[in-house]
Amino acid sequence: MKTQLAMLVDSSKCIDCKACMLSCKVANAVPDGAWRNWIKPGAAQGRLHFQPGGCMHCDTPTCVQACPTGATFKDPADGTVKIDRSLCIGCGNCIPACPYGARYRHPELKVADKCDFCAGRRAQGLQPACVDTCPTKARVFGNIADPESEAGRLYRENQSRLVRVVNARTDTKPNMFYLAATAPLDWPVEARMPSAMGLMAGATPVLRGLVGLTGLGVLAMLGRQLVAGGGRGSEESKEDAHVD
Amino acid sequence: MSTRSLTRHNRWDIFIHWFNAVLWLFLTATGLALIDNPAVNPLGQRWPDLWRGILGGGGNLLVVHEVAGVVWVLGFVAYLACNRRGAAFFLREVFRVSPARDIPWLLKKPVQMTLGEAGLRWLGQDPTLPPQGFYNMGQKAFAQAAVAGGVGLALSGAAMLASHLILGPGAQLLVSWSILVHYLCAGLVFAGLLVHVYMAAVAREERPGLFSMFTGTVPEDYARHHHRLWFEEVAGGPSRKN
Repeated sequence: MKTQLAMLVDSSKCIDCKACMLSCKVANAVPDGAWRNWIKPGAAQGRLHFQPGGCMHCDTPTCVQACPTGATFKDPADGTVKIDRSLCIGCGNCIPACPYGARYRHPELKVADKCDFCAGRRAQGLQPACVDTCPTKARVFGNIADPESEAGRLYRENQSRLVRVVNARTDTKPNMFYLAATAPLDWPVEARMPSAMGLMAGATPVLRGLVGLTGLGVLAMLGRQLVAGGGRGSEESKEDAHVD
Repeated sequence: MSTRSLTRHNRWDIFIHWFNAVLWLFLTATGLALIDNPAVNPLGQRWPDLWRGILGGGGNLLVVHEVAGVVWVLGFVAYLACNRRGAAFFLREVFRVSPARDIPWLLKKPVQMTLGEAGLRWLGQDPTLPPQGFYNMGQKAFAQAAVAGGVGLALSGAAMLASHLILGPGAQLLVSWSILVHYLCAGLVFAGLLVHVYMAAVAREERPGLFSMFTGTVPEDYARHHHRLWFEEVAGGPSRKN
């Protein structure tokens, strides 16, 4: 069975206590000035509304498309978007490529960092810190492909009422689902591919063509050498014989 | 007389050539394997998968590539420190271009190598090539690309290495562009490398040139034909042929 870890959020339950943000910061040693998750204030039906969020472990992650080395990748085993810190060179391409601003560059580790659904806690059988600590249980975490899990049940039973917060120009198919309604909705920005990365993608077929043409030139020379039996080389040795 | 040998390369030149060759190929192979993104991968998914499989992951691959890159730069530092005059001679010869002689040579040589002298006559050209100095224009063009590309690779590589060791987030733009510069430099030099390897290792007429990269010397008649101006300089006065 395919696994897709995801978060289902009933944002109407959120009281903006920020316990999820703090517990995340402590559990993951997130440095000063940086956050792996957030609560965004908005208004729904004339009332104040709070929307918890974090990396949405998208199905079509633009951050993965912006990473040249594959340090950021979508793990097919659990459907999460991961960062291999040992392979990340800290180029920062992925940061503007995320419509949600979910990524930052870790000032000490000097690599990209973001929510990993608390991989360390999950390895010990715990829920992500934000889910565990939420006093109103606004966040539900689990495998939405497993109909037995609570996340799977909520996902299945609320199919027509699931809301994905997306930027219309870059819908990355996030795996963060809000139940029934949420606000604000207009905050994700358009994912931006860094210019250098775009030029590199454009240069790739050109370079491949250049190397291919050079290879053809070499083959043409080799063809002549084989057909003419050494070509000018043999002619020259003849000339030498005359000279000396 | 034709058996006399002329000294062409000293021990340091020979060392740096083969040192550079081995490390350049290894760095190209591992550098290409560090690209794991279908939009910018010129070789396809198998190449990064192969190297990451051999080395036990992308992190190890990155360390191996970085260590090899630092060794490569240190080799050149040692070469420059121990053979300053040789390096200065190399750079002077490589960047000394005489357009009147070298441009016709560069245009005619590829025709001669593929269509032969008959091809040059068919195009209405005199089949004799303009005389060349210590390096011919093809060697100079490749050496210029290798020097410029090497400097570009070393500088952009240093920026990327510094990025995840010492630099702050302000350097992200520099690092993002360094990846592009690194990629373009390696790609352009690699295209030239194909011709360089063919000329040196496969084409028969340049065979003495290949041997000189082991022995340091070339036969006099090879020098007269392929590097006439240099030959006249070292042998003293114009050769008997003219």
